[in-house]
Amino acid sequence: MSSVASGAGSLAPEDAHRALAEIVRVAGRDVLATLARWTGNLALAEDAVQDASVRALQTWPRDGIPDIPVAWLRTTARRCAVDLIRREVVRGPKEALALGPLTDTVLPEEDPGPEVVEDDLLRLVFTCCHPSLAPETRVALALRTLCGLSTEEVARALLVSEPTMAKRLTRARQKIRLAGIPYRVPSAHDLPERWDTVLATTYLMFNEGYAATAGPELTRPALVAEALRLTRLLHRLRPRDPGATGLLALILLQDSRRAARTDAAGGAVLLADQDRARWDHAAIAEAVPLVGEGLRLSPAHPDPYVVQSTIAACHALAPSWQETDWAAIESWYDVLLRVDDGPVVRLNRAVAVAEARGPAEALALVDAIDGLREYPLWHATRAALLRRLDRPTEAATADEQARRLPLNAAQRDLLDG
Amino acid sequence: MTQYAALIYSRDVDWSAPEYAAETAQYGEFAEAASAVIRGGASLYPTSTATTVRVEAKGGTPMTTDGPYAETKEALTGFYLLECADLDEAVRVAATIPAAWDGVIEVRPVIEFPM
Repeated sequence: MSSVASGAGSLAPEDAHRALAEIVRVAGRDVLATLARWTGNLALAEDAVQDASVRALQTWPRDGIPDIPVAWLRTTARRCAVDLIRREVVRGPKEALALGPLTDTVLPEEDPGPEVVEDDLLRLVFTCCHPSLAPETRVALALRTLCGLSTEEVARALLVSEPTMAKRLTRARQKIRLAGIPYRVPSAHDLPERWDTVLATTYLMFNEGYAATAGPELTRPALVAEALRLTRLLHRLRPRDPGATGLLALILLQDSRRAARTDAAGGAVLLADQDRARWDHAAIAEAVPLVGEGLRLSPAHPDPYVVQSTIAACHALAPSWQETDWAAIESWYDVLLRVDDGPVVRLNRAVAVAEARGPAEALALVDAIDGLREYPLWHATRAALLRRLDRPTEAATADEQARRLPLNAAQRDLLDG
Repeated sequence: MTQYAALIYSRDVDWSAPEYAAETAQYGEFAEAASAVIRGGASLYPTSTATTVRVEAKGGTPMTTDGPYAETKEALTGFYLLECADLDEAVRVAATIPAAWDGVIEVRPVIEFPM
């Protein structure tokens, strides 16, 4: 064992604890993935990893961090799982039945090795993002298992009470077990569609953090950080996948603007007014090669996430709003419409057209979009264009309509300002 | 292996009537194609033939009402009992039941009580 003093001696106690918790969390996720396969029971595997993690946080500060933390955690979690199984079997036939055909003898002793762990993680990804689970349940489950948050942290990240979240997660695990949601990578035939669901779940998690629809804040950085962590995992598991590559680039680019998106009072700052020096240029530098890679990986039919990341890169690389290459952005929106047509894409394209060719042409495009009457940004975009066209009365009406629809507080302030 | 009930919700009509012979034949084709996993099932007469029964307490006098328990646009018109490896297989099979494109199929795992 290496001593804690040598590993974390220069850190303040709370930083040392955070560093330790991070090691436990990452290792715990890998152990969970394997233990879920060994036991065929996600709830049991989660409980066992939880117990083992608590023990690690108790003993490691005293005894030092083990040389191979994940091996220590796996051995301990296996032992915890066996204890849990025995306890359930003793409790009675009903509890034993809930374990299915499981006995403690099926838990292997060996180290599965990094490649098998990667396979197990991919299985876990597909289980947690199964299309038979509701989208918001997939997000919660992914946060709990793939990001390694506690139930309390998941509840806080998604702004629901802890009992509500605990109930939702319990119901999800129960459905996985009783309905027989499989713990494996789908067949080649089903894989593309199922992977789309995985990416959509991750993007939903990111988007809920990036443009929070509830709560006082414009963004919820903790949720964004978890979505980024999950996307990095997906990209690591399938590095040649254009969707994972594009999604990673997209999230890095959008999140690179985080510091500039709010002012000192917490209010939203529009892209046009942001201080670009405050953008995260390291994140942009990481993302831009991924954009190119994503385009190379899907040349004939560009992946929608890749195209979105291309548009985000056009913004990220522009020195200012005025010097943005709006014609290029409009063209990429045309590409996006071909691979992923939808009203919100059309609305965003119209915003680019307003800069490239003026507000009158853009307004005609916005007015022609169907199905966004309940979307506040449709009304807000109309209001902005009408104001530029010197039609203040209609602009005020559009603003009023935007304000009636759900927005987070910071966005509402922006409309009011 | 898990047993699943594939509950069929479709048009509330008399599926035994000769005018539905073409649809019935489709079900025959499905049953043949999926014979390896079908463990049972039944087709039901329309909800106009249904009687809903309840009693105040165990042993009480049956109180009956005319019609189905729940009035829905698409009615429960039958079910299959399927035995599949997992939900993915059950969904794959359910998607080939004709009502999947002429109604909906609800897939539910079956409780196996200990003997």
